[in-house]
Amino acid sequence: MGMNWLAKIAGLAEVPVFVAIGEGAPSDTASSLCKNPALRSVETPRAAAILLVVGTIPDALLPQLHRLHDQLPHPRATVLWHSGNRLSEATTVGGREDIGASLKDTHKGLLAGSLATEPDILPDVPPNEWRGIGPHGQGGKGMMGGTPYGRPMAMTAADLRDGLELDAYTADFGPFLPMFPSGLALTLTLQGDVIQSVAVVHPPFENHENRGWVLLNLMGLPALAERMLRASNFSNPTLHRIIRLSGARAAIPKGLGRTHDGSDVRTRFDLLTDTSNPALNLHVHQTGLDDLLIGLEWHEAMLVLNSFDNASLRAICANTSASEPSSMEDSMDHGAHAGHMS
Amino acid sequence: MTTLIAIILIFAFSILFTAALRAGVGAMSTVPIPYPQQRPILGGTDPETHAWQRFHVRYYTMTLLFVAFEMEMMFMYPWAVVFVQEGPKALAEMGMFLIILSVGIVYGWREGVFRWE
Repeated sequence: MGMNWLAKIAGLAEVPVFVAIGEGAPSDTASSLCKNPALRSVETPRAAAILLVVGTIPDALLPQLHRLHDQLPHPRATVLWHSGNRLSEATTVGGREDIGASLKDTHKGLLAGSLATEPDILPDVPPNEWRGIGPHGQGGKGMMGGTPYGRPMAMTAADLRDGLELDAYTADFGPFLPMFPSGLALTLTLQGDVIQSVAVVHPPFENHENRGWVLLNLMGLPALAERMLRASNFSNPTLHRIIRLSGARAAIPKGLGRTHDGSDVRTRFDLLTDTSNPALNLHVHQTGLDDLLIGLEWHEAMLVLNSFDNASLRAICANTSASEPSSMEDSMDHGAHAGHMS
Repeated sequence: MTTLIAIILIFAFSILFTAALRAGVGAMSTVPIPYPQQRPILGGTDPETHAWQRFHVRYYTMTLLFVAFEMEMMFMYPWAVVFVQEGPKALAEMGMFLIILSVGIVYGWREGVFRWE
């Protein structure tokens, strides 16, 4: 009885939603979700109660979607919107229905217990086979020994800045990372937070969303980003003045992410926020992501990635070398470098 | 007598409070976290190398310089008292100390210590 009463009160709060955007999602997805006071878009699946899949996730990215789904804490639910995907136990909402109301109902059902939490899609086993020796799987002597939790240690490599040999961390990032354009997945090698190499795993989906608000968000101006999302038309002079006065443009390093046509993140920021008068025509021939991102720190790289419109970014990804499909077996063999296994 | 009772009560309450906290935590952490939820969040992909890695703390020279100047300020507080008693002699001594430190700054500047990376 007491729990029912508490569940009812909890149901009045905003619904924490993690949004996974797929192919064919409407370009005003972020703006329409932001305008709904019943929802709160969160930056990590750990903080979400509902996974909202907007658009269709292609089959190649379904394993990633399943991993994302399982990272939501219980009780959780999945809602598919404008989507051709089929997930077991997920609620499908048509394009015309009120997404806010159905998310709210789902959340209330979860809290009251009338809707059961979704079980894991993936099996409850370690993602990598245990191969270690010793209490933490470190497998012998030294820091480089063994493959703890089935994953090999990062190998040393020369840093781009001064050739200092420390551990280079390589991982795939995306396609459902909130600071990445939707669908984009990259293999990045990092030294600290400096990008050493980049390869494209999956290009971004086609989408005509204006990502100016993402740039504002990345620069630590979430209220302004929300204001831009809520604005009914981007050519609102008050909004332009506030963006100019915020000093966000000056916070972007000059010459960051310069392409062959001479435009940098600052000029593209002006285009996205519609604060520059002459309409610039961007062309990104011969520019690849490796030209743009290598040597940048993570936060600068995120500004560069989000400064392009969708068509330009897709062209840039096409100019970039693709990541060779690395299978788990390959990387496990790579663990043999440790040398201290015996 | 009342002091003794107060002390005993304080101990009793603190033991009770700790026991309640521990019991509460025990009740909360009974659900084991399954493996799919233990994965790091990379936007849907799995990491292939272990997260245990070494990287260079590149601002450490700047930190050392900061510590040096902190110590300098610590010397200057007692020096202010000495200066009132001794006068120009103390001023000359502090001047020499500051000049030696400034040579350090100039050297660091030349070596690029102040470039943020």
